[in-house]
Formats: sequence, structure tokens, C-alpha cells
Amino acid sequence: MITLKDINKTYPGIVPLHVLRDINLHIDKGELVSIMGASGSGKSTLLNILGILDNYDSGEYWLDGVLIRNLSENRAAELRNRMIGFVFQSFNLISYKDAVENVALPLFYQGVGRKKRRMLAMEQLERVGLAERAHHLPGELSGGQKQRVALARALITNPSIILADEPTGALDSKTSKEVMQLFRDLNTDRNMTIIIVTHDPGVGEQTSRIIRISDGQITV
Amino acid sequence: MKTALFDIENWREIGATLSRNKTRTLLTAFGIFWGTAMLAMLLGGEKGLERKLMKNFEGFATNSAVFFANRRTVSYQGFNKGSGWSITFKDIDAIRQLDGVDAVATTNSVGSVTVSAGKHGTSAQVQGADHEYVRVFLPKMFSGRFINESDQVNARKVAVVGKNIADKVFPGRDPVGEFINIAGIYYKVIGVAGQEAEINVGGEKLDDQINIPISTLSRAFNLGDVVGGTMMTAKDGYTPTQLKPRIFRVLRANHPIAPHDDQALFFFDISEQFAMVDKLFSGVNLLALFVGIGTLIAGIIGVGNIMWVIVKERTQEIGIRRAIGAKPLDIVTQILSEGIALTFIAGMAGIIFAVCALAVVQQIAEVSFLIGFGQSISIMAIFMILGMGASIIPSLKAMKIKPIEAINDK
Repeated sequence: MITLKDINKTYPGIVPLHVLRDINLHIDKGELVSIMGASGSGKSTLLNILGILDNYDSGEYWLDGVLIRNLSENRAAELRNRMIGFVFQSFNLISYKDAVENVALPLFYQGVGRKKRRMLAMEQLERVGLAERAHHLPGELSGGQKQRVALARALITNPSIILADEPTGALDSKTSKEVMQLFRDLNTDRNMTIIIVTHDPGVGEQTSRIIRISDGQITV
Repeated sequence: MKTALFDIENWREIGATLSRNKTRTLLTAFGIFWGTAMLAMLLGGEKGLERKLMKNFEGFATNSAVFFANRRTVSYQGFNKGSGWSITFKDIDAIRQLDGVDAVATTNSVGSVTVSAGKHGTSAQVQGADHEYVRVFLPKMFSGRFINESDQVNARKVAVVGKNIADKVFPGRDPVGEFINIAGIYYKVIGVAGQEAEINVGGEKLDDQINIPISTLSRAFNLGDVVGGTMMTAKDGYTPTQLKPRIFRVLRANHPIAPHDDQALFFFDISEQFAMVDKLFSGVNLLALFVGIGTLIAGIIGVGNIMWVIVKERTQEIGIRRAIGAKPLDIVTQILSEGIALTFIAGMAGIIFAVCALAVVQQIAEVSFLIGFGQSISIMAIFMILGMGASIIPSLKAMKIKPIEAINDK
């Protein structure tokens, strides 16, 4: 599903920062992987590159058979929309849209009609167990509920991979477990490829493979 | 794929965004609303004021002057300072011969006299007018005709009755052809007249007067060959003030007036007043335009400013949208469309408000204060274009927001 070959990334500046050094990585379809590392280790940069949010300087990144390199903004947006589902630490829901509208938003950028969007969004909300909260604004939802809405939004385009950036970082331990359970269910029931970036060892333990990164290099 | 401005889905999204952020939307909308309303009201008010003033001059030859004999201010040829003199028919005939003089309307009047026909009667001012009267005053004829040269030369006993007098003395019928008793003498009614102009020279408005040939008036009321107030119009290319010395030369030849006694003739150039009003309105027009453009710019800068703040405030939202698949053009389209939608709705409301305000003023002022449909459309168009222009910089800024910001901006 994902193949990284000799990926290098340097942030230019007076003192150039070589954040990723010759990263080689292969993730198969249906894997539940965690990327762990201290802050400043380069794990966020790796996530940005995996999520087609940032470019890399050299190497090759293949996602589901597509070479991701030197893409135009438009092509990158399209690939993000169709192939990647994001889950963020701070949920990143749009505050003035209710749950169902938030979930439906990726389909808006695919040009799907309103009725169909809402129907598919409701399906996803049911799947994460939040159908009765469909018309609540994010401000009216608990942290765990917000993260489930975000997950429903990530799933609605039926992406190739789910990228989660500290998905439990803003949640208490109980809701953390619930959300992690949801990730695991997705992985086992739907064979979804999931990559979770975290610094929480408890989260890492619940994944099938842990990739450790430090000083821009994969150590395990 | 959807990118077009004319996508219903797009507009639904914009409607949702605008309606969910009511305070922000209202504040922006108010700026535009006030801008269009001010501009429309200024333009309408200025036009209305001009119409109101110009209405005073309607039915009135503009290149004209009024003159009549004043008392002497210098003793001359045995006539003391302060003694009076009069303009006569002979003077008028001579003035008519002058180069540059187009028409000379001379009038004289006796005060209020009793007029009647059958059972109905009233009192009215009787004015003598000559055949050139119509060339200077442009009366509004309700029926019949005004005094012509034949009436004047033959001193016919004919009368042009003012509209209001006709209504009193001949209620409910057209009096042309009937006879009216004016101070004991019967005159045949040849016309019913009124005037549109608000100003009048010497006495009542035409609607409240009876006009008979000035020659007839002189005989009937024993006024000799003396005339009263005279009004003249100048030919194209001349102004009354230019003609004043020539007219004075004629009068000095016929009457003992000191050569440097310029006060002995009252001479009022109406065209100068016109020029002044004209200049005044060019000034008012310029002012309205200046203030209007100022308001417009202030409104537009306000829109741009608020759009800028909105974009800053929504950096994270835009980042999220970009992360989940919005293309740069989608974001530009969204911000621009929001600007356009706001400008359109608020601008419409502003113009409707202005039209209502002008309609109220119109009720009070009794003159049209309305701005034209084309004019309001162009105000809208200008606002739409400028509103869009003001939204372009913020929307380009929005376009540059990287999706990474959605993640980093915690």
C-alpha cells in the first residue's frame, strides 16, 4: 500500500534542518501501524509527507500504486480527497457546521449532490454510533464524540489509508480506549490500512507494528 | 466536477457559511448596505433638489431680463432727484427694433376689480399684456388662445381668464366664447390660462389673473401711453446685460435722464440667476459625487477589511478544507462568492432603503426624487465589481493557506 524509498527532507534556513534522512518504509494493505518518536524526531514531517500535505526533496513515495512526487496543488488536493482520511489530535471539525455537514464535506469537494452527501454521511455516523447526534454542532459534542465524527469524515470517501495524528492526544484514558477500539475494529472488520502517529506507548501497543523514528531515521 | 460560480451546491455551501456566522455577516453587510444607501440617496437627493429648483423656472424664457422705470437719482434738466418717469409704448416699439432683442413683453395692471358672469362673480387682478407676452412667459393654455397682435393693435375687448378665476366665475364649463364683466365692461373670453413656473413678475400668478390686451387696458382704465413692468428676451448669442446699454440709450433719447444716472432704470437679468443656479448645481453635483465616491471607497475598504479578518479567523477552517480535498480554486471561489453574495444582498437592501427614503422625501417635496433604474443598476454593478475587487486580495491570501496549518494550528 505504502512504499517509501530513500526519502529525504530538509527545511531550508540559515542552518538547514535535515529532518528526514533516507527513510525506507513499506506498509502493506490492512496493516495497523503506529509511528512513534519524540517531538522533533521528524514524525510529524513524515506524516505530512504521507498525507501529501508536504513535499520531500529526494526519494520516492508510492501510495496505492501512485507515485506521489512534484504534484500540483490541485492534483495533491484530489489525491488527499480520494485516497487519504485524516484524523487530527484537535479534531479539526468546522465549528459552525453540524456533525453530518462536517462528515459530508469531503464529498462536497468531489461534487457529490447534497442529498447523496447527507445520506452517505448519515451512514458513516451510524457506523461510528453517532446517528442521534447528527445535528449537533461540534461545540455540543464531547471529545470522544468529536473524534468519532472526525473518523466518520475520514471514512466517507472510502480512502486507501487513514492517517491519524495523535488521535487520542486530547482525550481522557477511557475515551482513548474507545477511539482506539474503533480504529482496531476498522482495521479488522474492513481491512483498512491505518497509520497512527503518537508518542503514547499505550497507543503504540495496540497496533500491530510500531515504527520508531528518531533524528530523522527509522530505528526499528 | 464543480468549480463554476453557478453551481447550486456552491451557493448552498455559501448560504450555510454566511448564515452560521450571523454577527460577522451582519457587520459586513451593514457596511455595504450603508454605502449603497448613502450613494443612492445622495444622487437621488441631488437630482431631486435640482428638479425642485428648476421647477420654479418652468415655462419661463431663461435668457431674459425684467426692467421698469425707477425714480431719478440725479437731478437733470429741471427734474429733481427723486422724481419719477415712465416707460411708454413708444419706448417699447423702439426697443423692439434693437439688434439682439428677441421679444419684449410689456404689462401694466390695475388692482383688484370686480368680475362677473351671470350669477357668479369674484374679484381679480386685471393685467394688460401684449402679443409678445407668450414669447417670454410661455403660459400654459387650458383652452382657447392668448392675446395676439390683432387683439393688441385693434384694442379688442377680449380677455384671457386665469384658471382659478374661470373655475369661480364659470364653474364647471369652458368659458371660451362667453362674456365676462370686468369693472362694468363686457369682454369676450378667448382663453383660459395658467402657469407652471413658481416665480412671477408683478402681481399674481397667471392662474389668478385676467389678462386683456394692454392697449385695451390703457383705454378702459385711462392709463395713457404708460406701460408697467417689461420683460424682454435676448436673441441667441446675446445676454440681456449686454443689451442693457442699448436699451438705456433708447430710453435716454426719449426721456430726460442724466447720462450717468444708472439707477433710474431697474434692470434685472434673469439669465444671470440661471447661470448662478447652474453653477451652484455643478458644485452640488461635484460634492455629491465626491462624498458618494468617498462613501463607496469607505464601504469597499470595509468589505475588504472584514473579508481579510474573516480569512485570518478562518485560517484553520480553510486548512482543514484544503486537507480534506479542497483545491486552491475552490477556496478562492468560496471567499469571492461569499463577498459577491454579501455585496449583492446588502447592496440590494441599501438601494431599496434609499428608494423608500427618497419616496418619503418626494411625498413632502412634491417633486420626483427617484433615481433611475439604470442608475441604481450601475450603483449595484459598481459595488459588485469593487466588492469583488476588495475580496480578491483576501481570497488570494486564503488560497495560499497550506493544509499543514490545519494540523499545526492547535
